[in-house]
Amino acid sequence: MSEIKKVFSEGMWKDNPVFRQILGICSSLAVTNLLINSFVMGIGLCFVTGFSSFTVSLLRHHTPKHIRMMVQTLIISAYVIMLDIFLKAYYPSMSKALGPYVGLIITNCIIMGRCEAFAQHNKPLISFFDGISMGLGYTVVLLFIAFFRELLGFGSLFGIQILGEGWVNWTLMIMPPGAFFMLGIVIWIAKNIFPNQEEAEKGGAKA
Amino acid sequence: MPKKKPLLYPVVFMVLITAFFTFLLAFINESTIDEIERQEDLRLQRSILYVFDIPYDETNDNEVTYTYQANITTESRQGRTLYIYEKDDTIKGYAFEFSGSGLWGTITGHLALAPSFDELLGVNFIAHSETPGLGGRIDELVYKDQFRGIVPNATSEAIVYRPADGGNVDAITGATLTSKSVKNMINVFIPEINAFAREEGLYERN
Repeated sequence: MSEIKKVFSEGMWKDNPVFRQILGICSSLAVTNLLINSFVMGIGLCFVTGFSSFTVSLLRHHTPKHIRMMVQTLIISAYVIMLDIFLKAYYPSMSKALGPYVGLIITNCIIMGRCEAFAQHNKPLISFFDGISMGLGYTVVLLFIAFFRELLGFGSLFGIQILGEGWVNWTLMIMPPGAFFMLGIVIWIAKNIFPNQEEAEKGGAKA
Repeated sequence: MPKKKPLLYPVVFMVLITAFFTFLLAFINESTIDEIERQEDLRLQRSILYVFDIPYDETNDNEVTYTYQANITTESRQGRTLYIYEKDDTIKGYAFEFSGSGLWGTITGHLALAPSFDELLGVNFIAHSETPGLGGRIDELVYKDQFRGIVPNATSEAIVYRPADGGNVDAITGATLTSKSVKNMINVFIPEINAFAREEGLYERN
């Protein structure tokens, strides 16, 4: 139980994939202009990281070490295609909105990173949980960024108009630069207000 | 001497795991193919209903299909699909699919014309890869609705952006190239369709 707790807190905060490990930046820049897009993308990523880690961990004793990357890529892409088919069949408007980014989950470094760093050495169940926590950590950051981008760029939250008629949409926020600014601010806040304990003990990080 | 890596095992392992996932995906694909096709059809039906400005219930899929089937018939001529809007036995308009190059990729859409081919009923875009928030705004009603009721002039181009003389449509700020592409696409397509209609004798059907 304590192990699960530790894995969870690492995924959500201490080792958060986006602002600690700076992984999965590409998609977090691309889909955060609307909250609903970020939400579906986050759920999709949770599904893929969870099951990929689970499968990789399940096969870890049988996979020859020198071809493990190939095996991981295969497993990850299989789950991504499943997700893509699912969205196309049951949520076509979202499939259209996310466009190529669903397929590009394959290249999301978080998944491969977790397969390599965690699932290779741990039991299936805890690996599954690790994948889910990492996915959730990613989702939370995405939602945080999307909250500000959608609110400032469209004046709405989850498509519901929040700011009144007088609000002038800040178009920059829904364009790529808006994502860069927001992500930079998020990383800056995370690094400054909540300094990494290990780094603090060492007397600051080395560049 | 370093230990030799086994050769056969990795190959067999890889083949087995590939086969397993391929079968799994093939199965999922096979079982959802009908649903995906239905969704594709719905998208097309919504687009055609929009260009003819036929009111329909957006939230109810069956309603969309029902409205579509009650009003629209299709014909195929010269490899072109013709969507015909018929109401009370009179033809209200024809719609066609058009496509052309946008800023980043191909833009595909539908365009509807009155039966006399002298009035634009509506334009809709079904696939494009323009920048979200800029060129991507061609999907917004504010832009698309402007094309309704434009009467193409035989001597000049159909679409002219304001504030030029005789302008009839507002372009999108910050998306000059996308706006231009759309304009050129439609201005080329309308004469093309007029020639097609003359060849096929569509004018005489009224």
